[in-house]
Amino acid sequence: MTKIIKHSVFLASIFFCCGFVIIKNKELLFDYPEYWPKPYYDFSKLSMTEEEFQLGRQLFYDPILSKDNTISCASCHLQATGFTHVDHDLSHGIEGRIGTRNSLSIMNLAWNSSFMWDGGVNHLEVQALAPISSVNEMDSSLEHVVEKLNASKKYNLLFYKVHNDSLITGQKTLLALTQFLVMLNSYNSKYDKYIRKEVGGEFTEQEKNGLNIFRNNCASCHKEPLFNSNDFKNNGLAVDTTLNDYGRMTITKSANDSLKFKVPTLRNIQFTQPYMHDGRFETIQEVITHYTSKITHSTTLAKELENPIVLTHKEKVDLLVFLRTLTDNEFLFNKRFSYPKD
Amino acid sequence: MLRFKLKYLFTILPLILTQVIFTKSYSQESKEELNIVLVPKFGEKHILKDTWYITETKDSIQVSKIKFYLTGFKIASKQGKRQSINNSNHLIDVFDKSTLNIVLSNVDMSNCNEVLFNIGVEEKRNTSGALSGDLDPSKGMYWSWQSGYINFKVEGKSPSCETRKNKFQFHIGGYQKPFTTTRPVALRVKSIKDNTLTIILDFSKIFKSINLNSTNQVIIPGKEASDLAETLPTLFSVDD
Repeated sequence: MTKIIKHSVFLASIFFCCGFVIIKNKELLFDYPEYWPKPYYDFSKLSMTEEEFQLGRQLFYDPILSKDNTISCASCHLQATGFTHVDHDLSHGIEGRIGTRNSLSIMNLAWNSSFMWDGGVNHLEVQALAPISSVNEMDSSLEHVVEKLNASKKYNLLFYKVHNDSLITGQKTLLALTQFLVMLNSYNSKYDKYIRKEVGGEFTEQEKNGLNIFRNNCASCHKEPLFNSNDFKNNGLAVDTTLNDYGRMTITKSANDSLKFKVPTLRNIQFTQPYMHDGRFETIQEVITHYTSKITHSTTLAKELENPIVLTHKEKVDLLVFLRTLTDNEFLFNKRFSYPKD
Repeated sequence: MLRFKLKYLFTILPLILTQVIFTKSYSQESKEELNIVLVPKFGEKHILKDTWYITETKDSIQVSKIKFYLTGFKIASKQGKRQSINNSNHLIDVFDKSTLNIVLSNVDMSNCNEVLFNIGVEEKRNTSGALSGDLDPSKGMYWSWQSGYINFKVEGKSPSCETRKNKFQFHIGGYQKPFTTTRPVALRVKSIKDNTLTIILDFSKIFKSINLNSTNQVIIPGKEASDLAETLPTLFSVDD
C-alpha cells in the first residue's frame, strides 16, 4: 500500500513540475485575419511569451531610454492617436529639441520590410536604435541604456524572469521592445468588419461610395488590407527649403530616389494628424486637396500621380467619410497596449 | 525501502552511462585549437595610442581608436579543402590586448596552408536584426539611422586636418551594392608552430592613399567608404 502511495506521489510531483514548465513558457499567439498576407517579419527566431511582451511594454513606456530620463517611446507614439505624435509637424525629443520629421504611427509592423520615412532601418529589431541614438530624440546610445538597465533592480528582475539570467545586453533589450511592438496590430476597424461581413461593419451608401473612390484613386499605393506599401514614392510635395529633406536618396545615394518617402498606412488616419513626412498638412481635407490639385511635377514623381486625380466636392466628402471607417477603437483603447500600471 | 531505491537506480544508471559515452565520443571528435595572435604596428614600430607617427605622405598623426570586425574564418588545406569555423565573429580593439588573441576551436589543422576571413561583418548579418556577442548593436559598431555595422573604425588627429581639434574620423561600413565595405582576406601560411599563427597588421598602410587635408571625415556608407575599404586587406600579413 505504502508503495502505491510513494509511486503516486512521485508521479504527481513530476506532473506538477511539468505543469510549471508549460505555464512558464506559455506562448503568445501572433494573430491576424486569415485573408491577410503573411507577415514579412520572421517569427522563427523570436520567442513570444507573456513575460516578454510585458517586459517590452515596460521599456516602451519608460523614459529610462532617453539620455536625461525625460522621454519614452510613448512621448511621440501615443496609443490613442495610433501610436504617433499629434499636433506637432516635427516631433520633438529631450530638452524640447525639434527633429526633422513627423513621427510615424506604429501598427502592423510585422508587415513592413523597412522602417522610417526613408527606409533606412532594415529590420524591426534594430528600429529602436534610431530614436534612442538620435540627438533630437532621446540622445542616448544602446550602450548607455544597457548600463542603466543593468543598474536597475526592477529590470534585473524582469529580464531574469524572461531569460533566467539577470545580465541585460543590447540584443535582449532590442528583442524585448520588438516583442511588444510586433503585437500592436490593428484589424478591427469598421472597414475590417465590413470586409468580414461582421456586426458593426454595415457600410452606408456614402461609405461604400467612398471605398470605391478610394479603390479607383488611392489603393494602388495604399494597398488593402494594410493600406500601405513597402515602396518609396515621390508624392508630389514641393521641397520644404527649411528642411531640404530628399528622403530615400539619403540612404541609397541614388538620384532616382530623390524626394521619395515611405508609403505610410492610412489605418486610424482620423487620429494620426498631422500628415506627410514633415507634417505639413493638419487635416485630411488638405491631403485630399494636395492629391487633386497641388501636385508638384518632377522627374521622380510617382507614375500614379502623373495624371491628375479628379474628384467632385461630393466625392471628396465620401472619400473622407470612408477613411474614418479605418479607425479601430479596439486597437486605440486596448488596455494591453496602454501604460503599464504595475 | 532499499528495493525501492535500487529500482530507481537501475532506471537512472543507463541514462548516466549513455550521457558519459556521448560526452566522450563528442570530445574525441573535437579537433585542435588555433590561436591567432594579432600584432598591430605602424610601419616597423608597435602602434601605441595617442603617439606621434609620420605617414608615408609626411603627415604627422596620432591615433586614438582603431576597432574593426574580423569574421567568417576559414581554414584551407593544400588539397583545397575548406573548413568554415562557425560563428567566428570577432570585434578587435587594437588598444585592448584581450581582443588581440583569437582562438578558433575544432580546427582540423592537417595540411593547413591558407587562412581566410573577412574584414567586416558578412552581408547577411547586416540584415538579420539584433544579434548577440561581439555583434550586439551595443558595442558602438552599429549605425542607428541606417541599419548596418561599422566594419572598421579609425579615429585620431593630425595637423594636416583643418577640422575641429584637427580630428579625423573614418567609420567604414555599408553592405549595399555597389558600396559594400566588407573585404575578404586570404593569407598563405607556411607552417604553424605550437598551434599559433601570428598576423601582423600595419596601420601605416591605411594612410598611404588618404590625403588628410581633403579627406578627414568618412562616417556614412557610400563611395568614399567603399574606396577606403579597398586598402584594408593590404594591412594584413603573416609573420612566418
